[in-house]
Amino acid sequence: MPDQEKEKNAAATQSPDGQPAPSAPAKAAAVAEETPAQYFFGEPLVGFDPSEITGSLIVIEGMDGSGRSTQIALLQEWLESEGFAVQTSGLRRSNLVGRDIDELLAKNAVTRLTLALMYATDFFDQIEHRILPALRSGTVVLADRFIFTLIARGVVRGINRDYMSGLYAMALRPHLTFWLNVRPETAFGREFKKAQAISYWEAGRDMSLSHDLYWSFVRYQTMIKREFEVMAKRHNFIELDGEASVSAVNKQLRQRIAEQLGIRATKYTPSAALAHLWR
Amino acid sequence: MIMENPEPVQKQPRVEPPKSTLPQPGRPVPSRAYPGALIVVEGTDGSGKSTQLYLLKRWLEIGGYRLHFTEWNSSPLVKSATRRGKQRRLLTPTTFSLLHAADFADRCERQIMPLLQGDYLVLADRYIYTAFARDAARGCPPRWLRNLYRFAPVPDITFYFRAPLDVAVNRILSGRPKLKYYEAGMDLGMSYDRAESFRLFQARILEEYDKMVDSDSFVVLDGTLPVNRLQKQMRDIVASKIDLKRFAPRAQESE
Repeated sequence: MPDQEKEKNAAATQSPDGQPAPSAPAKAAAVAEETPAQYFFGEPLVGFDPSEITGSLIVIEGMDGSGRSTQIALLQEWLESEGFAVQTSGLRRSNLVGRDIDELLAKNAVTRLTLALMYATDFFDQIEHRILPALRSGTVVLADRFIFTLIARGVVRGINRDYMSGLYAMALRPHLTFWLNVRPETAFGREFKKAQAISYWEAGRDMSLSHDLYWSFVRYQTMIKREFEVMAKRHNFIELDGEASVSAVNKQLRQRIAEQLGIRATKYTPSAALAHLWR
Repeated sequence: MIMENPEPVQKQPRVEPPKSTLPQPGRPVPSRAYPGALIVVEGTDGSGKSTQLYLLKRWLEIGGYRLHFTEWNSSPLVKSATRRGKQRRLLTPTTFSLLHAADFADRCERQIMPLLQGDYLVLADRYIYTAFARDAARGCPPRWLRNLYRFAPVPDITFYFRAPLDVAVNRILSGRPKLKYYEAGMDLGMSYDRAESFRLFQARILEEYDKMVDSDSFVVLDGTLPVNRLQKQMRDIVASKIDLKRFAPRAQESE
């Protein structure tokens, strides 16, 4: 994370960001002097001590069809081959409400605020029960989307931007945030290929943008993309061209992650199990 | 139109529908901006608030007033998640708070706001102040909590039933055999004894409620008074602060 990198340059002993190296006393000293803003977007999370973090949180953001899940599968294999323990997270995967959200989406009876808050519940349940325990044990967490998608979805539905970011004030700041940027038109083709259909929510049909599914998808995803452009600057996203080949995108991801984790070699060829993803 | 207009809107019966019934989360909307009226009761467990709101509701129902009653933590959409979270003790202060906010948002967007727009008298047994008191007692940052509920209409009257800790706690402990885990604040790890944990938790909540009396314009009522005297006070205040005639079509016709 850039803020943390700056801090590191200023005082090498105060590295808080889960680099494998720092010694315990240096870390304890660092914690006393640092503000919660380094670990959280706003408020500190209840009952959590940031000094316990020894892992790294790496976020991959991007719209449906931007290639996130493909890249995460490949990165997980690469990191494991480099000897790093990896945990993944993603939207609607919490034990607490993951399935409840699926049901709400299927029923389509839910209003935008309730849905936004259910997603927030899902997010924080994963932070507290999946991501934090992993980060405490030195694991690399690969997050398939993060608060940015959730904030953008709320904002394009007319929920106040400050409200949405306030909701996620207690979210952990990632060490790296990648944004796989693609044109909605490209994403449409990729998504359609996967399921031979476009889902109600992917196309933002609750927003009544167009009866034409294609236009509804493109307009909705364009709105989301605009929100991402706003956030990209503020939160130092590393923007990658999601329309480049899988191997080219993967190479760029590996380079930045290798830098973050102190891995020297970034050579990687997927195993037979994942070879089909490598186009 | 409500959002763009900072002045209080006159309470006139509306003929044409307002342009937008959608709330704008992030800006508190005074309920006086709506045609309807919102009365809420708050207080610790055992303060007598539910009994009093029930009696107020009966009084208004018998009078034929147009009203809707809503309870904390009752949205069917969110219920199963809350129940599972509590049963399996999966909830942390943060997720406990968020799940209750989701429940409230569902009732707010689908009941409270449309009914206030539709010129109803809405009675709420517990409102956002319950979350402010209880979740702050659990350690959630107050600023974060205030933001979380910024979409909620501000009530016309907020009754705060205040009873001394021992009185309220004893009412609950004598009447109910077993306290539930989260209800007793067991998740805070203050005591292994449920009754003792409950007492400590309620003390913290009471403290949080007291902090809001001025900032949130609570009407404080003494929860130790006899039920009928307290109800008389409550009815007098409602009648003086709210133009009840507006919610009773029959009374208007006979004029």
